Amino acid sequence: MGKEESPQISRRTTRLSSCSTPSLKAPVEASKATNKLQSSSVDDLVFHGECISLDELINSFPGRQTKILELINLLGPLDSPLVPTFLYGGASTGKTSIILQMFKHLTRPFIYSSCITCYNPRILFESILNQLLLHRKNESNGYLSAKRCEKPSDFVNLLREALSTLVDSLKGNPGKLSSKKSSSQVNGRMVYLIFDNLEVVREWDKSFSILPLLFNLYDILKMPELGLIFISRTSLDTFQSDTGYVEPFPVYFPDYTEDDLRLIFMKNQANPKLYSSFLDLVLRPFCRITRRIDELSTAFLPLFKKYCEPLGDLGAVPNEDMKRKLFSHLQPFISLSLNETSSVSFQPLLKPSANKDRTLRKNTTKKLGAFETLDEIDFHMSTSAKYLLISAFLASRNPATLDASLFDSTGGSDNRKRKRKGSERSMEQKETKEQELLMKGPGTFPLERLLAIFQCITSVAEYLHDDEEPQNAGLEAEGSASGLMSDILLQLSSLCSANFITKGGSCPLEGSTRYRSTISEDMALKIARSLKFPLSKYLYRR
Amino acid sequence: MGRLNPAEQAKIILRSRISSPSFVFSFFSQSPDSNYSKLKYIISSSVTEACNNSVLLLGPRGCGKVAVLEIVLEELLKEHPDMISVIRLNGLLHCDNNCALKEIARQLCLEHHLMFSKMASYDDNSQFLLSMLRECGLAHKTIVFVLDEFDLFTQGKQRLLYSLLDAMQSITSQAVVVGVSCRLDADQLLEKRVRSRFSHRKLLFLPPSREDCQRLVEHILLLPTDSSLPNDYTAAFNAKLLNILADEKFKGIIDTLCYSDSSVGHLLRFLFSAICHMDMNSGFLSVKNFKSALRSMQRQPKLEALKDCSVLELYILVCMKRLEVKELELCNFNSIMKEYKSIHDTFQTSDYYARNVCLRAFEHLLERALISFEDNKGHGQSAEFRPVKLVISWHELHQGLKSHRSCPAILHKLMDREG
Repeated sequence: MGKEESPQISRRTTRLSSCSTPSLKAPVEASKATNKLQSSSVDDLVFHGECISLDELINSFPGRQTKILELINLLGPLDSPLVPTFLYGGASTGKTSIILQMFKHLTRPFIYSSCITCYNPRILFESILNQLLLHRKNESNGYLSAKRCEKPSDFVNLLREALSTLVDSLKGNPGKLSSKKSSSQVNGRMVYLIFDNLEVVREWDKSFSILPLLFNLYDILKMPELGLIFISRTSLDTFQSDTGYVEPFPVYFPDYTEDDLRLIFMKNQANPKLYSSFLDLVLRPFCRITRRIDELSTAFLPLFKKYCEPLGDLGAVPNEDMKRKLFSHLQPFISLSLNETSSVSFQPLLKPSANKDRTLRKNTTKKLGAFETLDEIDFHMSTSAKYLLISAFLASRNPATLDASLFDSTGGSDNRKRKRKGSERSMEQKETKEQELLMKGPGTFPLERLLAIFQCITSVAEYLHDDEEPQNAGLEAEGSASGLMSDILLQLSSLCSANFITKGGSCPLEGSTRYRSTISEDMALKIARSLKFPLSKYLYRR
Repeated sequence: MGRLNPAEQAKIILRSRISSPSFVFSFFSQSPDSNYSKLKYIISSSVTEACNNSVLLLGPRGCGKVAVLEIVLEELLKEHPDMISVIRLNGLLHCDNNCALKEIARQLCLEHHLMFSKMASYDDNSQFLLSMLRECGLAHKTIVFVLDEFDLFTQGKQRLLYSLLDAMQSITSQAVVVGVSCRLDADQLLEKRVRSRFSHRKLLFLPPSREDCQRLVEHILLLPTDSSLPNDYTAAFNAKLLNILADEKFKGIIDTLCYSDSSVGHLLRFLFSAICHMDMNSGFLSVKNFKSALRSMQRQPKLEALKDCSVLELYILVCMKRLEVKELELCNFNSIMKEYKSIHDTFQTSDYYARNVCLRAFEHLLERALISFEDNKGHGQSAEFRPVKLVISWHELHQGLKSHRSCPAILHKLMDREG
């Protein structure tokens, strides 16, 4: 299936659909509209298409053989009850895909619901019931659920009803179904409920009642035909509740080891020899940072392109000499991308660095030089929004008492004096202050202070721009003169919703809302540079 | 089902036994002074003598409170057909008064073949309940109210409990209220007006003793001789099993299992796992199966998570530990980074990464639940400034570093120095 194996395929397609092979997705989803009534049968609860053999299953998940066999044993022979099972392990260790593929192998009916897509109890309940009742939302039913169900008590009643009718219908056609395709027959009369991403339920409003409910569901329903499988990223001990719950049986998925990772990355490679020599170089250093496949594959994709760059023929088998050459070509980029987190900002980096290739090769010591090109901010913002952001940053960093002296008519010229005064303080005091700053983070400020600073710095900027580029002054003057236009407030609210500035609780004394800027100093400096605004002049250093 | 081999059939039989509480706990109904006989006496006396009663079943989870109750109710329903109707409520589902009364009305309607109206108000439902209690009392029918997770019904005004127990003060009604809770102080949670109407009968369910455990295992795992299995297979299986049960090694395994949790539920999960490990080729259980079952039951999630950590994540953990030893009252990502940098400056480690990479490792640690935020407030703050704490002990971290595959020597050194 190669969803997690091959780095080329984007990971977050819907998990369930990515597991059924593409040719089979079509009949399930597209043709539904035409023959929706006839085709909703029990068959819909199993994977369509040819069933995969155990060997195929094991081969598609390198390094997971013991886990797969253990799970197969847990699910047991046909029609045997299952104690509630809890699969846990770090992110991207193949929990969900293995269990789904396993049901494809066993062709037993199951119901899958992820607590991420079903983000509140009502949606979770209704999604389970919809699947159980073989109900599909479409135009004819106005995209409504089969049953409206908000309360847990209703859910349990409806679930019991739906399950017993389903189990009865499964008993009615044991083993061999009258279906035309032998591939789509339903095996057994057990129905499995799979709850994925259970750890997010802890953050829900009613988690204190929903979690025990889910864990106790098996005992509440008392139906041996029901199998419950929970999948979570965190272990059972992080699910706390007042009076506890019936503990499910734990199955642990460890993170992949370095050898497993190599096997996984080697899957579906066009030129295995080449990729293997590439992995020799990158896998070990990257494994010191993270062993998550999703992160590694995004990091490896551009690196491998880089690695192949000097090669004319991608199908060629590299010899020792070639490998050495490729290694020296790649080396500067490894340490670069080790210190990068997202691939999004890494990709634009590649282009300029490709141009700079020659210079880079000359002085590889100055590797970090490529970062200079990242200086401009990579999104668009209006000038006044930028000023607003800078003033918010200043308001958060500077103590309010210094505003008057920093932003007086001289435009912060006595800043230097202030600085010297600061350095006269004893070192110890300075250190505790610094510690405090590290702990407290940016301070909060009322709206009035933000607007005052905004007006000050735009007037200064106007003054500056008058010197440099007079044609631009008109725009700025407009901004500052009619200063508190609703425009500015609008900008502020959009900055808030973009999470550059956060709205905190109101101050108990004044009763007004307080704001806080969340941008880092680097970001503020970048913005200031794009405006040619002398930010450092206004920044109070302790 | 004839084509299944005997081992597979045996597996299915054993698995269904384990997941059927009535089979497991029928074991406890043999002795005369068990909770089973006490409970049966209480309920049957109120059925035959037409009186009201109330009782609390208390005990830790997985000790068979509900299972024993179900066995009792089933037998009584057989002995006195059409004399008893059972209303089952669960605190997790019906802790809201309105919802609970509606559910009672629904189940009563279902039982007595009446029309149930979804639109009925709280008042209608409580009137209906009272009149049903009177009618049933006149017809000498007993209504048994089973309140599972009883402690959750005591939240709020306890209006449901009050109205139920108050209705039982009249001579016309004939009902039993059975509360089931894993809180041993459940009766202390009752309000005064409710408590005075409660009979204060309590039955305590305790985990089985060591001998009982041993016999329970026998009761569950010995295959029945009158099943469809071939006789020689059953005989061989049972002989082999008795051999294992007498083995000292096996007794040791059961002891270690009961050391952490000796409830029946725990034991059942253990047996389930052992059956899953059964070798299908030989078709018999072995001590090895029980051993591996024990291993899969005894999980140490924090150590497992530590083993999964990357080297960078270990660095961050060690930094946090160092800060903790320095007795800084609060620490957040920034102070960790400062410590990380100072470690790098003193020891010139090869693992020094950019701040955003460390931040991502920090987030991984949060996800792994090895560290957590001090408080739930301050959602407006970005993660870097929110105070965090380690949720593993020094000992665990030490052990985790030792068992880690590629932990750098410098971290061991730093940890030893702290210790």
